[in-house]
Amino acid sequence: MSEARELPQRIVVAGDGPLGVLAAIALRKALPRTEVIVIAIPPDPAAFAERIGTALPFTNRLHDRLGIEEAALVRQAGASHRLVMRYFGGGGPGQAGAAGYGASIDPAMKTAFAREWGGGPRNAETGAPPRSLGEVLAAAGRFAPPSGEAEAPLAELDYALRWNVPAYRDLLIQIAQRLGVQHERAVITGVVPDGAGGIAALAMDSGAQIAADLYVDCSGSGAVLLDQLPEHRWLDGRGTFHARGLAIAALAGPMLALEDRATWTPLGWRWELAGRDGLQALLAVPGGASDEAIAAALGSEPAAIVPFAPGRLDAAWLGNVVGLGSSVAELEPLGGIAQDLAHRQLALLLELLPGRTVDPAERAEFNRRSALMADRAADWIAAHYAAPAPTARFPSLNLSPDLSRTLDQFIRRGRVPFAEETPMLVQEFGTLLQAIGVPQGEGPMAAAGEGSGEAAARAFEERARAALNAAPPYAEWMQRAVA
Amino acid sequence: MSERPAPTRVVVLGGGTAGWMSAAGLAKLLGPLVTVTLVESEDIGIVGVGEATLPHIRGFVERLGIDEAEFMRATHATYKLGIDFRDFGRIGDSYVHPFGTFGEEAAGVPFHHYWLELQRRGMAEDLGHYSLAVSAALASKFRPPTADGSLTSTYGYAYQFDATLFGPFLREHATKNRGVERIEGKVVEVRQDPESGDVTTLVLESGREIAGDLFVDCSGFRSLLLGSTLGERWEDWSPWLPCDRAAALPCAHISEDFAPVTSAIAMPAGWRWRIPLQHRMGNGYVFSSQFISEDEACAVISDAVDGELLAEPRVLRFRAGRRSKSWNRNVIAVGLSSGFLEPLESTSLYLSQMAITYLIELFPVGGQIDARDRDEFNRLVDMEYDRVRDFLILHFHATERDDSEFWNHVRTMQVPDTLAEKMTLWRETGRIEKYSDGLFYDASWIAVYLGQGVWPQRHDPRTRLPAPEQIARALARLREAMIEEVAAMPGHREFLTANVQRLAAAP
Ligand SMILES: Cc1cc2nc3c(=O)[nH]c(=O)nc-3n(C[C@H](O)[C@H](O)[C@H](O)COP(=O)(O)OP(=O)(O)OC[C@H]3O[C@@H](n4cnc5c(N)ncnc54)[C@H](O)[C@@H]3O)c2cc1C
Repeated sequence: MSEARELPQRIVVAGDGPLGVLAAIALRKALPRTEVIVIAIPPDPAAFAERIGTALPFTNRLHDRLGIEEAALVRQAGASHRLVMRYFGGGGPGQAGAAGYGASIDPAMKTAFAREWGGGPRNAETGAPPRSLGEVLAAAGRFAPPSGEAEAPLAELDYALRWNVPAYRDLLIQIAQRLGVQHERAVITGVVPDGAGGIAALAMDSGAQIAADLYVDCSGSGAVLLDQLPEHRWLDGRGTFHARGLAIAALAGPMLALEDRATWTPLGWRWELAGRDGLQALLAVPGGASDEAIAAALGSEPAAIVPFAPGRLDAAWLGNVVGLGSSVAELEPLGGIAQDLAHRQLALLLELLPGRTVDPAERAEFNRRSALMADRAADWIAAHYAAPAPTARFPSLNLSPDLSRTLDQFIRRGRVPFAEETPMLVQEFGTLLQAIGVPQGEGPMAAAGEGSGEAAARAFEERARAALNAAPPYAEWMQRAVA
Repeated sequence: MSERPAPTRVVVLGGGTAGWMSAAGLAKLLGPLVTVTLVESEDIGIVGVGEATLPHIRGFVERLGIDEAEFMRATHATYKLGIDFRDFGRIGDSYVHPFGTFGEEAAGVPFHHYWLELQRRGMAEDLGHYSLAVSAALASKFRPPTADGSLTSTYGYAYQFDATLFGPFLREHATKNRGVERIEGKVVEVRQDPESGDVTTLVLESGREIAGDLFVDCSGFRSLLLGSTLGERWEDWSPWLPCDRAAALPCAHISEDFAPVTSAIAMPAGWRWRIPLQHRMGNGYVFSSQFISEDEACAVISDAVDGELLAEPRVLRFRAGRRSKSWNRNVIAVGLSSGFLEPLESTSLYLSQMAITYLIELFPVGGQIDARDRDEFNRLVDMEYDRVRDFLILHFHATERDDSEFWNHVRTMQVPDTLAEKMTLWRETGRIEKYSDGLFYDASWIAVYLGQGVWPQRHDPRTRLPAPEQIARALARLREAMIEEVAAMPGHREFLTANVQRLAAAP
């Protein structure tokens, strides 16, 4: 007969950045009888992921689940909505395209095909049109969040949020405090091993020790806990990514924009993050780039260049220590993918939440899925460098077998194969590849004229018109939202 | 749209269910890109015992543009909500593996953890009582699900039909509406290109030659093109799935009120099926010839069926396993020629359908085959087969039965590592290894584990948070809602008859 496992009595989260506080909120909500302590870590200059306030649509769902309301993010954390990422120059000078979010960015017929027929529920010929409701609304500068009604004109709209990092963190701290999460300011000076590959207690500079059942490492690339464990093994990703640092600059003051832009420069992708707190430029820079080249590509003198070592931990969960975010995987944050990955890992931890003691099979399942998540997120970034212009500039980067297959299938057949634990729907991956100028082949069904054609285009136009009617100008909506 | 190349000449060898599904599907979806010719031989005949299906078949029929009622009438189809398993974990045990879920998750914890917690305290009803599909099946009720996200959208359905009628029905459709050419004749020689080894021509007994660019091998267990001609390696799975024979025989219904389920009843040397069609009951004893002779098995099944016998038992022979690659050179095997997994979970027609779907997605437009597409096809087909295989092995391995040599063998055999890992995770934590591709997700694994007495040692700690009485009240409410829904559903027979378009004339 099955027994409920004992509840953990205490969980320690190392790191009080936004990810650490979010993890603490999630754990405390899931385990209201468990003491959750967040330990401050001296700010990690390399934790750029936490300086960038944006993620992908998955995070909106996670926030919802944790009771972090979008309305509060808009009012108190400077949140704004990104409907599309607009890419320039991936296919060469003058090439441009937009990539949005959600399943509906695919012509319905073609995904419905695979869904209805079974056999690879997510495999689909993408053949995505260069248009989606998100793109139409972004171009018109109009927006309102979907009402939640299934048939409403904006129902199929999906989006990512941007936010102001300090304000977001403050909001999370308020919520964490309300939930009874404790905050510890003393500094970790060492770990006491438990003899089983994990940690028995943390030694603090106050002289005290803090023992817990589970430790969550949200300390950023420093990985203050995981780094101390003997099984800790880093898989170097430098063969796959040329980036060795991230240059950051503030370009302009507050913006109200429904799109972000990413432009191919000779050094890498420059991403303009258009927040209500200002326009930032971010550029992944290769090793050895000169200061002048960086400034030219960034469009400004960098305010900081944060060193960066792409790769991931072989296993994100060792003993009773589980790592989230850049403590276990470092990747270019372009478009919010790094936070998205951290938040998916957090959701996975909630799914596989252990009892007082960690079960090895459960830890292995977490590590299997977390590694897949990290690898697929890395593929997403690597795909950006597989566009024609970047490939000409960096011809020698390795592609994972999964990404090679995806690119090959897309280029020859217009098809994006499904991959387990991928952060992107096949439709989203397909539109990304279109937007960055990867030439798209034609699938057999498109060639046969199946399910394409004018009826679909007309239906889309009608939906687009209805959506434009339903959405006010973004500034107007925002004014009402913050009033 | 790019310029359309000359149509690829597709030759389908075999007019069993797989052959006609392939011909109809390719002709419908690839239209102008292909010409489809199908060769079949009445002398050889078809297996024709694939009677129980999975919900995916509905999409297939729909996509061909076939009306559901017309199809049901033509194939004497009934509705199916799942499979009723008896005597698998222990003699006397039973459970339904539904096309549907159990309960709802709460606070991020899947339903079955709460159920385990109540069960431990003796406060839970049978797990199936919290599944609408199971509850309806046990009450012999049926109504199609809704799509509104409510309780009535928590299940799906499939059909049970007469497999000897499904092929001919598709043949009619494919030759009349889709321009498929049918050629009657027995293939006696297969010509290959001396350089590439590609199949070029099939030669019939009459001397007639049929040339093609792409050959879909639906020749059944013979695997004439992929197996015999190209010599594709066979991966033998019989150490894990020792059943290698079936004795099939139809009988009359003993009651008009049959449940919308397929039954699978464990037997001393295998198991037997009961599949209700509109006018008769399909039966068959799937057994291992290592443990019982054909004659004995025929005698056993003749005794076991409850209705009046409508024929003598017919014995079919097979092996569990699959060809190493289903697509080799210009030959793609679909159906029994690519592999066989016993019909315990009604997966064969699904596996054909899946292969056809992938073939369409990866079709060599213009006839030029790219090795990468072939590899991709084989990767996907292997993944599907392997996932089904592990799930089937579980049904035999997860048992306490020690009343026969057969059950002693399957209970004590070493299972594939991929299955052993899944079972360890379940036993230690009550969790299901997660994937989104392939068949059989959480609810299916939970149904079989708990239905066959594989209990986890521990379940989610969060089930300690609510008071047990609170969980019990939530489950009781759910149960009441289900009872109400089931009460409002028409009987299976009643629903079938409500639309006369669905009914075949009495034989
Ligand atoms: C006991 C049993 C129970 C089953 N139950 C189910 C079930 O419940 N659900 C399910 O989904 N599946 C079930 N199956 C599987 C299902 O029957 C098959 O998947 C399905 O019938 C497809 O068979 P096929 O078309 O591949 O082969 P076949 O039916 O064997 O057809 C082969 C065809 O090839 C032709 N052919 C062969 N050689 C030549 C030649 N030389 N020249 C010309 N033509 C030739 C034959 O004439 C015939 O038309 C079951 C199978 C068995 C054995």
